[in-house]
Amino acid sequence: MIESASYVYLAARDIPQDVVNGVTGVAGSPLRLVRSAGLTAVVSSVDLIEFGEEGLRRNLEDLQWLERVARVHDHVVHQVGSATAVAPWRLATIMRDDTRVAELLDSWAVELKASLDRVEGCSEWSVKMLSTPAVSTAGQREPATGTAYLQQRRAANARRTERAQNASVEADQIHIALSRLTIASRRLPPQDRRLTGHQGDMVLNGAYLVRDDQSEAFAALVEQLGTELEDFGSLEINGPWPPYSFATLEPTEPA
Amino acid sequence: MTTGAINTRAPRGGSQGVALVDLLDRLLGAGVVLSGDLTISIAGVDLVEVRLHALITSVRAEMRTTGRYPEE
Repeated sequence: MIESASYVYLAARDIPQDVVNGVTGVAGSPLRLVRSAGLTAVVSSVDLIEFGEEGLRRNLEDLQWLERVARVHDHVVHQVGSATAVAPWRLATIMRDDTRVAELLDSWAVELKASLDRVEGCSEWSVKMLSTPAVSTAGQREPATGTAYLQQRRAANARRTERAQNASVEADQIHIALSRLTIASRRLPPQDRRLTGHQGDMVLNGAYLVRDDQSEAFAALVEQLGTELEDFGSLEINGPWPPYSFATLEPTEPA
Repeated sequence: MTTGAINTRAPRGGSQGVALVDLLDRLLGAGVVLSGDLTISIAGVDLVEVRLHALITSVRAEMRTTGRYPEE
């Protein structure tokens, strides 16, 4: 017999059974609800060949596997999150069995409830700012002398530095302006251009927790700030997401 | 993407249109982070670091074969 374990997607206060009926989990098995301490976790069974320590070590190196699991995880969180406030758990959190999941709900009940209260009625939005790459000097007239060449190089470097500093200041100001319309905000590390292929510099990769009745005002502000950037760069807004970046636990005591 | 403009995508109800990188930013870098019974022991290294390293390595390899991005 293949040993199985419980993959945990999220916690919520209460989840009606029909919300998860017919939804399939990461390994193709149905979702289950685990209830304890006034909280409900959504889990599904995974086998330890695929999701055990050895399996994960191997599979996390496999981009297709990773994407498939990430998409299913996200789909489950979206489905349940459209019915109730959710605290999504990190990808590939695996417990021995449902008893352990219930124990975890018990020991983190206070923090989980505080986290759920914080995200109730809110969604996460992503706003990124990409600075426009500096205009290339290629095609400029060839400098006549070595001194002229060095001057040209120095001037180009100075322009680049100034532009980068300005873009960074712009990004700070945009983040502050957006944060005023939010319940909470976080700046995530800029994404690696090897993964995204983006041009220019990602000077802002912000996550914003916005009340759902403020989402139109928030999107309008992003549009306005994006227009004001003119040729400095551009803003990209994505959302709404479940509150992935804001369901983090702040322990009041050791687990 | 155009300068001075915004792009909007709405992943509500599904995530198929969302870039994998955006998703992993959140599924690995955030969320309720509690050590599972199993993932905690992966080489004693934080799962996020292990995975991002693996992702970059594997994306690089793919990009090289398709020639979409220059090598560094």
